[in-house]
Amino acid sequence: MDMKIGVYICECGPNIAEKIDIDKVIDAVSSLNNVAVVERYKLLCSGDGKKFLGEQIKKHGLTHLVIAACSPREHQQTFMEVCENAGLNPYLFQLANIREQCAWITDNKEEATKKAIRLTKAAIERVRYHTALVKKQIESNPDVLVIGGGIAGIEVSLQLASPDRKIYLVEKTSSLGGLIKNFEKTFPDMQPCQEFIKQKINDVNKNANIQVLTDSEVKEIIGFFGSFEVKVKKKAEDTDEVNFDVGAVVLATGSTLFDPKELSEYGYQKFENVITSLEFEKMNLSGKITLKNGESPKSVAIIHCVGRDKKGYCSEICCMYSIKFVKYLKDKKPDIKVSNFYSDLCIPGKSYQQFYEQTHGNNVDFIRAENVEITKKGNQLNILFKDEKGIKNNLLFDMVVLSPALEPACNTSQLSELIRVSQGDGGFFAEEHEKIGPVSTSTEGVYIAGCSQGPKSILDTITQAGAVSGKILSSLIPGKKIEPEVKVSHISESFCIGCKTCLNICSYGAITFDETKKISVVNEIICRGCGNCVAACPSGAASLKHFTFNQIYQELKEAV
Amino acid sequence: MKDKDSNSDVLVIGAGIAGIEASLMLSKSDRKVNLVEKMSYTGGTAIKFEEVFSNMECSTCMLSPLQQQLLQDKNIKLLTLAEVKDVKGEFGNFTVKIHKKARYVDMINCIGCNACFEPCPVSLKNEFEEGLSERKAIYVPCAGALPNVPMIDTEHCLRFNGKDCKACQEACMFEAIDFNQKDEQIEIKVGSIILATGFDIFDIKKIPQYGYGKIEGVLSALEFERLYASNGPTEGKILLKNGKTPKSAAIIHCVGRDEKGYCSSVCCLYSLKFNHYLKSKIPEIKIFEFYTELSIPGKSHQKFYEKMKDIGANLIRAYNIEVTKQGQGIDIKYNNGNGKKNNVKVDMVILAPAIVPKNDASDLAKIFDISVDKFGFFKEAEHNVSSVFSSKPGVFIVGCSQGPKNIQDSVSQASAAVGKILSSS
Repeated sequence: MDMKIGVYICECGPNIAEKIDIDKVIDAVSSLNNVAVVERYKLLCSGDGKKFLGEQIKKHGLTHLVIAACSPREHQQTFMEVCENAGLNPYLFQLANIREQCAWITDNKEEATKKAIRLTKAAIERVRYHTALVKKQIESNPDVLVIGGGIAGIEVSLQLASPDRKIYLVEKTSSLGGLIKNFEKTFPDMQPCQEFIKQKINDVNKNANIQVLTDSEVKEIIGFFGSFEVKVKKKAEDTDEVNFDVGAVVLATGSTLFDPKELSEYGYQKFENVITSLEFEKMNLSGKITLKNGESPKSVAIIHCVGRDKKGYCSEICCMYSIKFVKYLKDKKPDIKVSNFYSDLCIPGKSYQQFYEQTHGNNVDFIRAENVEITKKGNQLNILFKDEKGIKNNLLFDMVVLSPALEPACNTSQLSELIRVSQGDGGFFAEEHEKIGPVSTSTEGVYIAGCSQGPKSILDTITQAGAVSGKILSSLIPGKKIEPEVKVSHISESFCIGCKTCLNICSYGAITFDETKKISVVNEIICRGCGNCVAACPSGAASLKHFTFNQIYQELKEAV
Repeated sequence: MKDKDSNSDVLVIGAGIAGIEASLMLSKSDRKVNLVEKMSYTGGTAIKFEEVFSNMECSTCMLSPLQQQLLQDKNIKLLTLAEVKDVKGEFGNFTVKIHKKARYVDMINCIGCNACFEPCPVSLKNEFEEGLSERKAIYVPCAGALPNVPMIDTEHCLRFNGKDCKACQEACMFEAIDFNQKDEQIEIKVGSIILATGFDIFDIKKIPQYGYGKIEGVLSALEFERLYASNGPTEGKILLKNGKTPKSAAIIHCVGRDEKGYCSSVCCLYSLKFNHYLKSKIPEIKIFEFYTELSIPGKSHQKFYEKMKDIGANLIRAYNIEVTKQGQGIDIKYNNGNGKKNNVKVDMVILAPAIVPKNDASDLAKIFDISVDKFGFFKEAEHNVSSVFSSKPGVFIVGCSQGPKNIQDSVSQASAAVGKILSSS
């Protein structure tokens, strides 16, 4: 079939018509090869304009369409829809921006016209080399793998499980519940959390649509959004492997405490009665806060920010749980002395300041301190520190509780490799976008919730778990097909030299290496069309559909 | 919970980042969304920022693709200049009455060429620019506003005040200006509601010792954001009222924290960001940053803080701050951490005020029959662990309407609310 390019120039009322000599543009492009028709129209994006375009496409039997009008951000989609409705593949269309890039940026009509001619010619030369791209639809599996059986994983599982969506909840330890199981109460409401977490675990176990795999670890995840194949191994049984397919994966692997032994100044595991916050939570939960010798402490120091400098971030929750510890202690022993050694009080949000103020007075101190060091003096622990005025000081306590930084769970880097989600600041899983993509990752269909993404409170963890559920519920709908990106990368079999440069460049894990043919292969369903592999490929084998070398070259040749 | 014949449509109130996120997600799952926005534009407060911490990403570049998507989404019905007046019913079956003010500019015919502004004889302070620039009675708040369709401010338009002016109509080539448009009373039925109505900032004038409103050169954080914005009143030039470039500036944190009784969670970080704003435009500027407690929680923010310190942020822990005018400059008296009295002189002062509930939060709470907390923010349901449930089933609260928070947390809450809606039916 002969190529028939239709070129339509929008007057945009006076916006283009008064600033550009449209007739000159028409003259300049009319005689170009394959240009079947060139016309001007007062407003192509209007209802009448769209109708006119549709009729023109059919009337002239156009095979390609060029519109010279406004920015693609305004009306590219509008005109692509016109093409689609008129039976023309929307990718056989090109928009030249002669409003924002010509008419609106100069009062010099001659120059604006010249540039408009160049841009319109460029669009015509480009569109010749366009090929029709067709949207694909693929079947998806609505089931979900949740890794980590703490509160984040439990919340996601309970919210997502339904008769048409099965959840596989994989936990590496022998029981569900995560860190919360050690806590008596949560801040700032001082709500008892033992019953709460037991109830949740019970709900999970009762739910027929959730398969819990404890003492288990994920060994392999291959595939892509809508279709992952998973291998899980039970720890005890070497041979026993569970295989299943899911459409999405949730990483809810939580965090662990920084080991205070790494910082000798705190005397952890050197002196008796220096314990970590988690050990203190457990002791409190057991109902008795005692010293090693069985006696009850008369004074307790809580040291904030243990390991903050070393880790390079504020762990967000330590100030608040340290304040909670004051309440634990005061509830059990109203006359006990409690001193908090802190650097900066981090109590953001509407309800925390009040919680902090409730602990004031009554033998409770908050001491801003630097260079904290713990030594032993008699039966007591001696805390040496520099106070706010820069003066060296020391105080004696029976017990010291250290509030260490939170760090990613130990299997984070292993999982990171397994599922191609990179580790960001602090080694936590990196979110897709700091602001607008906090629970998605660069691998589509893989989500992160709770402390695996970064230190956060139980409340924020539950919010994030809810956010992950929302993302999955809105994008992986049982029975609904997935539409992958069409403008994807392609690697030519004959040009690829097998150097694997693209494999490392691709942040989406869309490229694999075919060992028999010794070439790279793009998985078009995973590829998001970023073009990084194209730029990096040294042999010119990689190209991006709709942005091929030739399309860009032909366009540039006329534009510059 | 909802019964079988409940309505699956959703009403989202507020087209800021949280409302946009919620609407787009709901649309993706084939829900019909009515997005009600009080202003004439989308994007909320976040579009006032040139850059956002901690990656210094261009805020409009981050948001405008989402705003554009919103406008083109066929499942989302955006009602601008609209406010909810009455709500009846319950989870699954709400009947909502909306008052939609006339824009007097046709959304379909207008192409956003701005030709109507110039001939308008009225000139007044532009609220979007914190009063730092002027606008006409027919206007869009800033370049790049979406939808890019002006509105007529009938309070100041001559035609709506008895005069026979039609300058804008004559200038419009698209017959987009329609003085005969009428306010509409719209009634819709929805199954659930998301409130994403955002926040206001603390009225700094309530604390006279900061000199705000009295001393030239004392700015609120939002005023400073607009001063740095490339689409703002000075096109991004940081200037004093007299047109000169400041040689020194002070940034003061925690303005109104004691009065409000909470830490607003984002001020330390955006104040640190201001160091970058100042230094990138005026490399030799001297900056004094006064804070009480540094609240920079999370995995990425300490790194950002250290970067800001490297470019010259000079942080001073200070109490009892008093700002007075002294000659051409501004004097700041303070007590430092040691309790010693001290002072510095600067050309410009930027105040970081507390985040407070939106001025109409309590009215909205009454309309939607939900509780507010003692500060006036929408209150989470008791005995529920998720912060997005309000006290009324089917009404969800997200973003800063529920309490001060950053963009990331607002977006998470919006997604979480959508999750609750999608999993409950």
